[in-house]
Amino acid sequence: MSAGGAFGGNRGLRPVPPEKGIFPLDHMHECDLEKKAYVTCLKSSGYQSERCRQFSKKYLECRMERDVVFKFKFSAGEFSALGSGWSGIQSKHKS
Amino acid sequence: MIWSRLSRKINLLPSLKNLRAAPFEFSEARGDLQLANFSNRRTLHGYRRLADFNDGKTAHGYRRSLVSQFNLASTSRSFDASSSLIGFRRLYVTQTATERKSNKILIYLTALVFAMVGATYAAVPLYRRFCQATGYGGTVQRRESVEEKIARHAKDGTTTERELVVQFNADVADGMQWKFIPTQREVRVKPGESALAFYMAENCSSAPITGVSTYNVTPMKAAIYFNKIQCFCFEEQRLLPGEQIDMPVFFYIDPEFETDPKMDGINNIILSYTFFKVRDD
Repeated sequence: MSAGGAFGGNRGLRPVPPEKGIFPLDHMHECDLEKKAYVTCLKSSGYQSERCRQFSKKYLECRMERDVVFKFKFSAGEFSALGSGWSGIQSKHKS
Repeated sequence: MIWSRLSRKINLLPSLKNLRAAPFEFSEARGDLQLANFSNRRTLHGYRRLADFNDGKTAHGYRRSLVSQFNLASTSRSFDASSSLIGFRRLYVTQTATERKSNKILIYLTALVFAMVGATYAAVPLYRRFCQATGYGGTVQRRESVEEKIARHAKDGTTTERELVVQFNADVADGMQWKFIPTQREVRVKPGESALAFYMAENCSSAPITGVSTYNVTPMKAAIYFNKIQCFCFEEQRLLPGEQIDMPVFFYIDPEFETDPKMDGINNIILSYTFFKVRDD
């Protein structure tokens, strides 16, 4: 799609799909609490992602527990060095 | 060879007019020589022969056939064969020389037209490759995967200091009854750190709607450093009436962003998603 660019100017070429592909959505709202916790943390800490890292980690863990497809997609690669503090998820769920 | 035929007819027209006045006058002038011979050919062999001449593929071939015709004409009429031949040939040499030149030009121009059309078709894949190589216009480069990049930076122990503000924008196509907003307005992140962000979509109508989204990163030149690990784009998402859903985006900004001099003034990155409705409902 060439949408998303100034008309008549640089359109930017087609966006590239994400690395790990499309992830299934949480239709059952199973991890809503984790998500809310993360968002409130962000709001309170001035939107610093560094400070709310444990909440996002919790959210990802929750998703991986509940959703088989999510877990499969996420642990399919080497996420051991995904910035500081992610290695916990990887080792825990790699099975 | 329509062109050569036309040019020949145009050249011969005034001389043919003169011929009618004095049909068999044999003068020293080159033009008349040609006429006389022409008329002889016609009377001898009829118009069918003339048609044969005009079908000659090359100017040289034409010349050759003409000369052979000439031999017959001159011998039967007992003209001075050599002089008439030479005169005729010389006259036709100048004509075919210009004809050949114009034919050459025609061929060059036609080849140029085809070359231009071919270049237009070739431009599409070439441009795409050029954009991928240089990241021009916001193309996200795909030289190494995110995991490899992360592993490499972890090994190198690169530390980053600049804090970037990633803002989120959400749009919905016209006529689509979805409420689509980002859950947080912005996220402050350093290059090299992965971050999670949420969007919220709600189907406000009374029928299930399927939508597909696409994204864009502004400013365009920063797009090469913006890696998305996980998102909800490019796949059809179906929402039942009244359903609300959270859509996560997991992304990572390349630490090489800091070392790039072109990125000096950039502290804001805007990630924009747009949802479009899928035709089949």
